Amino acid sequence: MTITFDHVMPHPLSSIQHGKDSIWGNAFRLEQGQKVVLNASSGKGKTTFTHTLAGIRNDYSGNLLFDKQAVRDITPEHWAIHRREKISFVFQDLQLFPELTVQENLLLKNDLTNTFTKAELKEFLAILGIPEKWDEPCKLLSMGQQQRVAIIRALAQPFEWIILDEPFSHLDKANTELCLELINARCNTLGTGFILTTLGDYHDFTFDKELNL
Amino acid sequence: MLKKILFNNQVKSQLIIAVVGSFLGFTFLITSIHYLIRVNEFGEGEEILGSNSIIIQKKVSNYNTINLAKTDFGENEIDHLDQQPFIEHVEPILSNSFGVSFQTDSDLVPYFRTDVFVQSVNSDFLKFDSTLWKWSEGDEFVPIVLPREFLVMLNTFASAKGLPQVSDELAKSIGFKFKLYNDNSSEYQAARIIGFTSEVSAILVPSSFMEYGNLGFPTAVPAKVTQLMISVKEGSFGTFENFMEERSLESKESSMIVGKLKSVAGTLFGVVMAISIIAVFLASLVLIQYAQLIMSKNAYEIKTLLRIGYAPKSIIQAIIAYFIKVFALISVLAAASFISLKFIIDGIMIKGGIMISSSFTFLSFSSVILAFVIYSAVNYWNAQKEILRAR
Repeated sequence: MTITFDHVMPHPLSSIQHGKDSIWGNAFRLEQGQKVVLNASSGKGKTTFTHTLAGIRNDYSGNLLFDKQAVRDITPEHWAIHRREKISFVFQDLQLFPELTVQENLLLKNDLTNTFTKAELKEFLAILGIPEKWDEPCKLLSMGQQQRVAIIRALAQPFEWIILDEPFSHLDKANTELCLELINARCNTLGTGFILTTLGDYHDFTFDKELNL
Repeated sequence: MLKKILFNNQVKSQLIIAVVGSFLGFTFLITSIHYLIRVNEFGEGEEILGSNSIIIQKKVSNYNTINLAKTDFGENEIDHLDQQPFIEHVEPILSNSFGVSFQTDSDLVPYFRTDVFVQSVNSDFLKFDSTLWKWSEGDEFVPIVLPREFLVMLNTFASAKGLPQVSDELAKSIGFKFKLYNDNSSEYQAARIIGFTSEVSAILVPSSFMEYGNLGFPTAVPAKVTQLMISVKEGSFGTFENFMEERSLESKESSMIVGKLKSVAGTLFGVVMAISIIAVFLASLVLIQYAQLIMSKNAYEIKTLLRIGYAPKSIIQAIIAYFIKVFALISVLAAASFISLKFIIDGIMIKGGIMISSSFTFLSFSSVILAFVIYSAVNYWNAQKEILRAR
């Protein structure tokens, strides 16, 4: 799935002067399989970008397209299909269910498409260093542990793009590398790409494309 | 899992209040509709005359006796009555001006003969097949409706003679005959009982037979309308009774009793039904608000479910299914309570001499189904609106 930004300008940002290489007000395409980074400091609009891609915000001018489909025309029922099969997200606020256990949080997503077995999900937890958290309620986990659960949940579906909004903000370097490796491996398996927003750190990863705000 | 997410942190006390309110409203709604139907049916089928039909006449006073006041009704008086809003229909009752006697004509019963008084009533007031209520010259027999007292008298006579008594059904199958006469001539006409009445003291005959007798055997006594058959509108017996009091009219008290009872009981159950509808409406409103509260309290959960790929339809279904179960439970409990209440109320009514049908009424249960459908539809529409608003 190709993502096309055709002079997209969020209304709250329309009064600000944006550069020639900014994602706002300019035209560019993201091709399937690309590994893309959006590096900017806090408060610059990274979440506006991911929320626009997620269909959460429609308050913009210009056109945002998934292939030839205008994102703002996607109906709620079709968004469900997109979010189940084509585009996956790790939101900055993670959007986990704090009362549910790690297992329940993962299965809630995984059961929609039966992408992985329980054993595979447990294996992902082990890879990311939290195998013992399977039966623990998410509210008892640290932010870094919750970020890892949210990443595994986002991977537990088929997708053409995975959008990650500051997913490593509470992780140390070693855990960040483990997570990025897992995401990259899954993308390579599926032949898909990801868009990662970060706070000035490239995590020693070579990206295909960098976006600017 | 969806149920666990959406209904885990409920304020149960609010749900319990709404459920109790709905349960009481539903129970009273079914009960009031059921008894409203049964009360309206009360008295039907027992009498040949419709339960809202009564015979009225002018009160006889000393002035009538000394011929200073009339006891018969003129055309203007009949028209005036017909125009009253609580009266559905008025018809004069024609009486015979010819001589008529009535006698048995069968070996099954002892010979019995008496002079009688016959009256004719329009078939609209009688509750049997109107094709039976006709007579023309040359017909095999004259159909008649016999005062029940007459059969009692006949049985008393049979008993005194040591003969078997006659049941209603047997009386209908045995032969009787009229002797029509005046000073100059006489004639016999076979008669057959087709029904009984406790409301009229004269033998009822079709109007064509009355005309035949009045024309064929005229006497010096003119035919006067001294009684009227009136059909009173449902539930208007109170107004009608006041009207009769003002106009010095009277009727046989027993014929008013059913109508009055139906008016009073009908009004009472009507009021209960109105209160029940309000109760059901308010309780449903609380339940709908409760459903809305659940959605508001779970705004984060709903939004997250949508963002991880759950279809709005599946979330709506989970919410609707929960409240359908709650409503179904309320309906079943209300129906069960109604059945118990009915058992008690029917017992009280039978003790009080009010015999009503003990079967259930379809409409009372339908009202619950209707309320259930309306509630579910409103709830679905509400849930759809709320969930589609979340992104």
